[in-house]
Amino acid sequence: MRDRRLAWWLVRLYPPRFRRDVGLALVDALEDQMGARRASGASSLGARLPAIADTVGNAFAAWIDSAGSGAAKPPRPKGRTVLDKLLQDVRYALRLWRRRPGFALVAIATLALGIGANTAMFTIVHAVLLRPLPYDHADRLASVWGRTPTYPRGLLSYREYRELRNKPGTFEAVGLYFPQSVNLTGADEPQRLVGSFVTGSFFDTLGLNAERGRLFTEAESAPGTVKPIVVITHQTWQRRFNGDDGAIGTTLTLNGTPVTIVGVMAPPFDPRVVPDAGYFIGADLFLPAALFPAPRGLEAAGPVMLGIARLAPAVAIARANADLDVIRRRLLADDPQPQADRTLVAEAAQETVAGASRPALLLLFAAVGVVLLIACVNVSQLLLARAVDREREIALRAALGASRATVARQLTVEAALLAFASAAAGLLVGRGALASLAWLRPPSTVPIPVDMPLNAAVLLFSGGVAVLVSLLCALVPALRTARPNLARVLQAGFRRASAGGRRTRDVFMVVEMALSVALVAVSALLIESLLAVQRAPLGFDPSNVLTLEFRLPPTKYPKPDDIARFFRAAIERVRAVPGVESAALVRAVPFSNNGGTIGYAIEGRPSVDAASLPQARLHLVTPDYFRTMRIQLLRGRDFTDRDDLQSPLVAVINETFARREFPGQDPIGRRLTTPQTPTPITIVGIVSDAKHYQPTEPAAPQLYAAHYQVPLIFCSLVARTRGPAMSVANDVRKAIWSVDRDQPVWGVLALEDIVARRQGQWRFLALLLGIFAGVALLLAGVGIYGVTAYGVAQQTHEIGIRLALGASGERVLREVVGRGARLTLAGAAVGGVAAIALARLASAMLVGVRPTDPAALAAAVLTLTAVSLAACYIPARRASRVDPVVALAEE
Amino acid sequence: MRSVEFHVLLALASEERHGYAILQEVAALTGGEVRLEPGTLYRALHRMLKDGWVAESARRPAADLDDERRRYYRLTPAGRRVAAAEAARLQRLVAVARANRLLSRA
Repeated sequence: MRDRRLAWWLVRLYPPRFRRDVGLALVDALEDQMGARRASGASSLGARLPAIADTVGNAFAAWIDSAGSGAAKPPRPKGRTVLDKLLQDVRYALRLWRRRPGFALVAIATLALGIGANTAMFTIVHAVLLRPLPYDHADRLASVWGRTPTYPRGLLSYREYRELRNKPGTFEAVGLYFPQSVNLTGADEPQRLVGSFVTGSFFDTLGLNAERGRLFTEAESAPGTVKPIVVITHQTWQRRFNGDDGAIGTTLTLNGTPVTIVGVMAPPFDPRVVPDAGYFIGADLFLPAALFPAPRGLEAAGPVMLGIARLAPAVAIARANADLDVIRRRLLADDPQPQADRTLVAEAAQETVAGASRPALLLLFAAVGVVLLIACVNVSQLLLARAVDREREIALRAALGASRATVARQLTVEAALLAFASAAAGLLVGRGALASLAWLRPPSTVPIPVDMPLNAAVLLFSGGVAVLVSLLCALVPALRTARPNLARVLQAGFRRASAGGRRTRDVFMVVEMALSVALVAVSALLIESLLAVQRAPLGFDPSNVLTLEFRLPPTKYPKPDDIARFFRAAIERVRAVPGVESAALVRAVPFSNNGGTIGYAIEGRPSVDAASLPQARLHLVTPDYFRTMRIQLLRGRDFTDRDDLQSPLVAVINETFARREFPGQDPIGRRLTTPQTPTPITIVGIVSDAKHYQPTEPAAPQLYAAHYQVPLIFCSLVARTRGPAMSVANDVRKAIWSVDRDQPVWGVLALEDIVARRQGQWRFLALLLGIFAGVALLLAGVGIYGVTAYGVAQQTHEIGIRLALGASGERVLREVVGRGARLTLAGAAVGGVAAIALARLASAMLVGVRPTDPAALAAAVLTLTAVSLAACYIPARRASRVDPVVALAEE
Repeated sequence: MRSVEFHVLLALASEERHGYAILQEVAALTGGEVRLEPGTLYRALHRMLKDGWVAESARRPAADLDDERRRYYRLTPAGRRVAAAEAARLQRLVAVARANRLLSRA
């Protein structure tokens, strides 16, 4: 009896008509079948399951059958399954495409453009911002900084590191590292490698392993143990030793000291597929922290290393920071002086790596999103126009018995095909876009990995976007067409321009215009910023200047005298190179990101404690630096060769320094004291201001000291050349090797290129946003043209009547353009608001211009107005020339 | 024509049957190769009823064989013609298959 109840229940799934006709009989048959199965030994489930599966599937099919046969009871298409019907729909859609290839091509190309741009941006955003760092427990990795007001991401001292290691509840592992150039000698040409001085715990923290040999331990890297060992990276092993196992145990001469290779580090990830070459391990080799070249040893060196930690499970950054504050207080109680304004802070490692990229990437992502929206509106517009054209066809099909479901299915299949085609094309466009992005020399804030294999996330994103977009595009037309008003559509002389359709088209137009105004305005802001950056006076002339860097090994040049002697000889040889006009040394080339500050006090003024001394940027330069860089000497004198270790200390200050400290006085001859120098420094000259880190930085007090009086092992050379800077690069390198054939040099670059790289972010963003804005304008223009032309075409009859009744062509033209102008006004108004929202995303990248800059907004509105009026004018002109006879004869 | 429909028509060709009997007859005719489920059968039956290929039978079998709650179905003349046409079509196909040595002569 229970079988019968189930059978009744199952039959209820069928459409009413079916139940009325054969429902009872089906119940009987089901009951019989289940009974027979039981009789042949099937379990209760075994008897019922086939019945359930069978009826559920067929009930569904019966509904489709009944939907297919409307009230008119058309002849049932014989022998068709659901799949057959879908295939038929696909064939039909393809036939429509073939019949109107232009339509299909434009729609797919437009969407592919939008989807492709989004795919490319998403690939980068995913690789940089979303994907976890390629380490185990990447979500628990954190940078630990010693933060001061001037350096929010400052270094840690070894003492602080020891305290952190005593907090196992907070930090599961903590490591120190500090990448620094090391000189490799003993090979054919002296070479500069990037070494990272690390504690043994550094390897544990990141979960690094040895591929050959071993890594070194915490004990081997602790200060006091001088173990001359080194771990090389996989790449170094391949490059220098061709992957030979014999590398282990061999000796390298690094910074003049022989060290033994104990192991090869296994690469934790493929460096080509991560956008930033490194992620904390960007070095050629790893040396024990104990070998760090600090004069009085690592323990006494103060904060000189970078910290990386792995938090204990379930410890949030906030809690880590609270614990760090406790540690800081304890350290402060022990020894208040150097800790005065220092705090210890943890920051998620992902943020350390990608934080700087976020604003630029999000801005670009938003921009491509806007382009995609505009593309959607355009395609939607196209589909709608075509759907209205097809209203007759569809109404006819409905009248012949096609149900609403059938029509909707047909339209859905068309949309799905569109989605598929544009997703495929979009993926291709995206790959191409990525390649061309790399070619546009992106700045470091938009890191683009060398190699970007398609991954599931990207495919999912593009597919999702394509489906969403096609639905969006197809939805409005499908909703309109699937419900045609048969009587109205089939009326003789039906004019298809309904008020509803016009409203939809107006909204489309306004949205499109608003979006492009926003994008054009933001790209105008970025262009203004770029111009501001390029216009900003540098204070020096970067053209025809060759720069290179080197580092003297302290073992070979232990005394300041030795260093100074090398410098003098090198400069002399470089000056003798044909094509070199003048040459000088400087500790840090402008825009190289290196540099430092010094606290100073003016002699004769009330003294303050060391912590609150005013700071000036410190540059160490040799004579002729100002002439070589074309920094103007305003008063006094340049350094000379006689300003050496034996003579009293002298300095040259910049204008800003002079203005700040000696307003209305003559600074020449005044003396400064600094904590770093044993005797006072006499000011001997004043030079004009020169930028050092950013083209847009505010002027800062600068103090130039004589390099021969304060010789440092790290040094750069600048040489002004007669021709292109790079043409003498080889000769200059050889000139240095003629002084010391073991001295590696690197960073051989034209100063112009270094400066251009600094402007790169703005150039890149302005260029890219300019392209996006151009595409947006083009799409909007085409869209506006299409809408207007379509409206005019539909009103041909009406316009014909009016012209026949005596309206002038000019008046018709005025009306059509006037209508476009009104919509443009609305679009501009909405776009202004959207622009301000989008500009807020860009605010971090704006220089010398506010997000609400009226000039940029005005430029955007004017550009759009021009495009939109031009786009309206062409169809309007056509309207004004309608021949009433032809228009009326169309009936 | 779908094979379900042809099978049902064949099962009804010799005599009127009720639903469950059709299932058993189809299984018997095909040597157990085709085992229809009631839901599939009745969907086909419903379609063929609407198309006028089969009809509910007014006649009943002899009383001792009858199960009074059953509904019996029979072929209509139209249904017979459709079935014959399908059989002829299949025959032609079989002939072609034989000519091409896909089938040995029975």
